[in-house]
Amino acid sequence: MLNSMMKTKIFAWVDRRTDAGAIIKSQLTEYPAPKNLNYMWNFGSLALLVLVLQILTGVFLAMYYKPSAAVSYGQYTVAFDSVERIMRDVNFGWLIRYMHAVGASAFFVVVYMHIGRGLYYGSYKEPRELLWIIGVVILLIMQGAAFFGYLLPWGQMSFWGATVITNLFGALPVIGEYLQQLLRGGFAVGDPTLNRFFSLHYLFPLLLAAIVGGHIHALHVVHSNNPEGIDLTKEEEKIMFHPYYTVKDAFGVGVFLLFYCYFVFFNPHAWGYFIEVDNYVPANALSTPPHIAPVWYLTPWYTILRSFPDKLVGVLAMGGSLAILFALPFLDRSKVRSARYRPVFKQMVILFFIDVIVLGYCGHEPPTPVLKLVGQVATAYYFAFFFLLLIVPKFEKTKPVPEGI
Amino acid sequence: MTEKANESRRNFLYLAAGGLGGVAAAATIVPFIGSMLPAADTLAASKTEYDVTTVAAGQLVVILWQGKPVFITNRTPELLKEVDGHDDMLKDKDSKAIPEVSQPWMNDPDRVKYRSIKPEYLVVSAICTHLGCIPGYKPTAGRKDWGDSVPADWPGGWHCPCHGSKYDISGRVINGSPAPFNLHALPYKYTSDTTVLIG
Repeated sequence: MLNSMMKTKIFAWVDRRTDAGAIIKSQLTEYPAPKNLNYMWNFGSLALLVLVLQILTGVFLAMYYKPSAAVSYGQYTVAFDSVERIMRDVNFGWLIRYMHAVGASAFFVVVYMHIGRGLYYGSYKEPRELLWIIGVVILLIMQGAAFFGYLLPWGQMSFWGATVITNLFGALPVIGEYLQQLLRGGFAVGDPTLNRFFSLHYLFPLLLAAIVGGHIHALHVVHSNNPEGIDLTKEEEKIMFHPYYTVKDAFGVGVFLLFYCYFVFFNPHAWGYFIEVDNYVPANALSTPPHIAPVWYLTPWYTILRSFPDKLVGVLAMGGSLAILFALPFLDRSKVRSARYRPVFKQMVILFFIDVIVLGYCGHEPPTPVLKLVGQVATAYYFAFFFLLLIVPKFEKTKPVPEGI
Repeated sequence: MTEKANESRRNFLYLAAGGLGGVAAAATIVPFIGSMLPAADTLAASKTEYDVTTVAAGQLVVILWQGKPVFITNRTPELLKEVDGHDDMLKDKDSKAIPEVSQPWMNDPDRVKYRSIKPEYLVVSAICTHLGCIPGYKPTAGRKDWGDSVPADWPGGWHCPCHGSKYDISGRVINGSPAPFNLHALPYKYTSDTTVLIG
């Protein structure tokens, strides 16, 4: 189909003016990809799909959403009412909002799988350090966008979540209070906060779209890593991205949509993991809900925050746990990329995946003494993983990597 | 498997999968376009009730129905007399040109002429059929009250400030106006002796 389209007169007209044919060739039909990529390599294209879905549904939600904390006729707020109006009165509003809310969680599922893939197969190593670093920037912007978006329904979890997170910045010495007021536009989370969060929630996906473009460009310069983690030198080790991986990605999209549609249509709250029940209670500045936790995709970092008895140390540790991802390509000096040929690293990285899940679980549950201890041990391993990478290559006996595939 | 059988099987799967994917993508457009149409609460606000006795004799009141302006006038016997005698000046005296200018309740000659259920209370769209302005109310006939802003044979009615369209006291468009049609008639009924329900 692409080939016949490229033979038309219209395409020739466009091609003479944009060189579109050369771009399609270099990026798709003659873009060589390793022939041994497994299904873990589907999550990049899925992340792009979810980004598009989020922007699309978000644009339509913004046609009805009103970012105002003003008290409405029913003694709720304009923002809260506008979300309920989307759910009850706007045609298909329930569908578009659930697509957006489930999409937020789906975005983090596929992106965390994508990051885990990169960790396991050593995709962050030379020459892909910058590709990894751009990816970490994308992760941070995603988390910011998710955080801003979570305030918008102006429910109890929105309000108190935003209160807690903006208080984090207040813990910083000297500039803390200034920074906090800068974020909130007042002395507490209120109407100005809601307005600016809506503005930033609209801005961040635009930033994402631009930086994702940079991510893909950087990928197409250094090319994909592969499960063996070796550099491919021979032509027969590669296949063209189109049609082979476009078809494989399309199959992945089909499987993804099965899960996505299950949640959108049958289980949008996902047992309170995707949309918290308490958020259907309108924001009340006079009463904090009995149990407050962030949405699941932020809970690992929340556990790191509360594992430290000192407020400032906790905040710095949480920031550090994300910032250390930037340093990863320079901490791990092993020449072997894939965990398949690194027995010690393989056990470490699998334990790291379990560790992050444990951190996430601890952050989601109320802080009992046992869970607090578990969280502290998990936090210790989270950081130990990165610092152990400095010394592991000195004693790890790597298996011989294959010459080719 | 022969090469030929393989090819046709592939082409079939390619077309079937691609076709169904295309159908699914097209179906996805439905909820998004649907969401931009009026919401349920907007549609629920599509009926407006009004007590016509609050309009004093000779007075004009403009109210909103579905977000659009509506004229309600209480026509005195003198104003009702102005409905007659200028049929030759009207583009569409019996309100037949397009469906929007008549209503099922216009079922006898008086209702067609007065364009109202009770002759004194005219309930009619306030949107000029030319380009959507609200015409100004100049109810009395002749130039006595309006000077030469109206023609010498002014029968009394509405005069649009935007492009000069003229309507008589029943909202029927007068020859020479840029407006093509009479003011639109509205679907209304009396729910009590004094209350009209529009919509």
